[in-house]
Amino acid sequence: MAEFNVNLRGVGSVSVIDVKGYLDAHTAPELENVFNRLLDQKQYQVVVNFDDLKYISSAGLGVFMAYVETMRENEGDIKFSNMKENVYNIFDLLGFPILYEFFKEENEAIKKFSGPEQS
Amino acid sequence: MIKTNFKFSGVRGLENAILLSIFLFLFNLIFPVHDVFVLALIHEGIVFFTIYFLYNYLHQSLVNKLDAPLSLVLNIGILGALLFFILSIANSAYEADINGKISFNFFNSLLSILLIFLFIASIVYIFTSFRELFFLRQKKDPSTYFNTMLVFFALSFFSNILLLIDPNLDYPHSAFYVVSIVLICLNSIRVAWIAFLTKKQKYYLLGLSIILSIVFGLAFSLLIDSKIVRQMIYTFSPGLHTVFSLVMIYGTIYFGVIFFITLFHLPTAEAFDRKAQEVASMMDITKLITQVFDFKELADTITTMTTQACNSDSAWLVTNTNNGIELNSVHKIGYVDANAVSNRLLGSGDASFEQIEVIDYDSLFGDKKFVEHHFHSVAVAPLTMHGKINGYLFTARTRGNSFDTEDRKSLQAFAYYAAVALENAMLIKESIEKERLEKELDVARDIQRKILPAVVPSTPQLAISALFVPAFEVGGDYYDFFELDEDNLGFVVADVSGKGISAAFIMAEVKGIFESLSKIVQKPSELLTKVNGVLKGNLQRRDFVTAVYGVINKKTGKMNFSRAGHTPSVLCREGKVERLQPPGIGLGLDFTNSFSNSLKEMEIQLKNNDIVVCYSDGIPEAKNSLGEDFGYEKFEQIISDNCGKNLDEISNLVMQDLSLFSKDHPQHDDITLVLFKWKQKQ
Repeated sequence: MAEFNVNLRGVGSVSVIDVKGYLDAHTAPELENVFNRLLDQKQYQVVVNFDDLKYISSAGLGVFMAYVETMRENEGDIKFSNMKENVYNIFDLLGFPILYEFFKEENEAIKKFSGPEQS
Repeated sequence: MIKTNFKFSGVRGLENAILLSIFLFLFNLIFPVHDVFVLALIHEGIVFFTIYFLYNYLHQSLVNKLDAPLSLVLNIGILGALLFFILSIANSAYEADINGKISFNFFNSLLSILLIFLFIASIVYIFTSFRELFFLRQKKDPSTYFNTMLVFFALSFFSNILLLIDPNLDYPHSAFYVVSIVLICLNSIRVAWIAFLTKKQKYYLLGLSIILSIVFGLAFSLLIDSKIVRQMIYTFSPGLHTVFSLVMIYGTIYFGVIFFITLFHLPTAEAFDRKAQEVASMMDITKLITQVFDFKELADTITTMTTQACNSDSAWLVTNTNNGIELNSVHKIGYVDANAVSNRLLGSGDASFEQIEVIDYDSLFGDKKFVEHHFHSVAVAPLTMHGKINGYLFTARTRGNSFDTEDRKSLQAFAYYAAVALENAMLIKESIEKERLEKELDVARDIQRKILPAVVPSTPQLAISALFVPAFEVGGDYYDFFELDEDNLGFVVADVSGKGISAAFIMAEVKGIFESLSKIVQKPSELLTKVNGVLKGNLQRRDFVTAVYGVINKKTGKMNFSRAGHTPSVLCREGKVERLQPPGIGLGLDFTNSFSNSLKEMEIQLKNNDIVVCYSDGIPEAKNSLGEDFGYEKFEQIISDNCGKNLDEISNLVMQDLSLFSKDHPQHDDITLVLFKWKQKQ
């Protein structure tokens, strides 16, 4: 029913995950597979591009929570970009913006990784 | 009197035959010699009908012997040999006697009549057996040929009488006799049943038939040549003598034909056996498919049968799985070898055989001995179901010819059966899994139902209404009320992430935590921070809980609450709605100070007719068939439009609009709606 697509690409040392469609309990394992692959390859700097995501459920949010700690322990992070307003509202309601960094554009998120960590 | 009892049917064949035999016996005692035409005619008639009724009777009783033609043949053989034996004894005994001078004393005629009865019974039995063999395995009804022969037998029988009128009138008898023999020859060719015998049975029949052909031949020659035998039977009844000789001729010709046809069938006997075995094993397998739920067990049967049917040395069956191929069953080959060969042939799951293929093993792998078995050729057939290949059936020969068309056909058939069985097994597994999930959901629903409060603690000043609509896949919504003290009522509306039984268990855990902590901690923000702390060790990383916790003073109408990532509450005051969204992140998202730092408390002094609404995201996130959300605005609009109505009416209206909105879309999350209405004391 609900379609979901996930695509992984590398921009420099940063891995960008494009998510598309509906991310819920049924499609979350696909995204988990991608994160597991990243862990295997020791890629800890991740930007998730939400440009084509239409819907995210609590199980979808859980995926990021499950991996963010490992990324941060290894001097990486999961950052979010290109989020539509309705999707952002879900994150916002839960208080994600306090714990995660959100960017309008993917570039900014990538830059944040490569840039000197002054702040 | 007697005549009326003679019904010309087989029903009373035995009684009629016995009755006639007694009649015949008495007749012969009274008229030992019957050379007068009328007497002879009556006598012949009695003999004929005795034979006729006996034939009818035996024909019926032999029907159930049809499954074992060989035992029928054996019976014929025994009787034939017996007849031959008696004839030879009679021949030699009388010849040793006074050289053909026969005295018709009483004892002799009694003995000869008894012998005659024995002859009649035997030849009728033999002839009836011939008849059954004749009809055996005939697709078209050949009864016309047989009945024609019977008519000519009868004509030959009665035409003897003519000789009594005029000794020169022998040509009709000769003519009928010859035609009968010709018909015997024609009917003897119908021996289709031989083909269905096994190889062993064919050898048996081959030996038996040549002996029987000779025995019947000798019996016939005795009947014709031996004066004494001829005289004994002929004087008794010329017709009987004719029929006797005809049956002996039938036996000689029939078994001669059987001998040669069996001989010609011998070379193909093995192939026929194999084909028959194949058909039998196919039937077994069809039966198995519907009975065996365990695919492995069936796969074992299939590989075993494949080696038999294809005359090969090994067979094995693999199924496609997510990570390559899985070996299900092996026959006469080791698991390791079978795995190695299939991996070589299939590659790492990329290569596939769309249809049956025979692979020349040597040319493919050369002399590389990577497995213990060295095969000459390997045949592989895909297990195709609905155009999808679910696995492969392999069979291999270590030497000899490659697989021919017949072998391929067998392999294909077995592969097809395996595909069906595999599909069946998968469907059964799926339905069991589905049943298990449904059971699990029932348990989850049960937990949820028991956790939610049965009654709402309304007071005259504070009206409370709570509505809960579970989704098919239990969502994890939870609401509760706590009587903290005489004045204060605590309330919580929470939503556990995830669905099903895991969500239900977390929900139960959360209830316990809230119930115990609410008695100790008064401040909502403090309480939520404590709940978060307790959850730290008890929640998986990916799970979280959103909640609104508040305390209402039932006397003053002062309400204090905090929100941990939950959907904002709504305050409706004088027809205007206000979203109450104090900051705060969800429980379980973070276990550092960020949580407590983010959490703010909100205090509201409720006024008369104020309505406060707490709800779960099942309402704003309800979807319609286009995938659109119901949304917050629509929800808040309903509240503000109906602010003056009582709480149950309002929740009914919300549910009405919701179900209208998502009428073509299944409810995918629990819906919780808790409303408070404050009535100021006048």
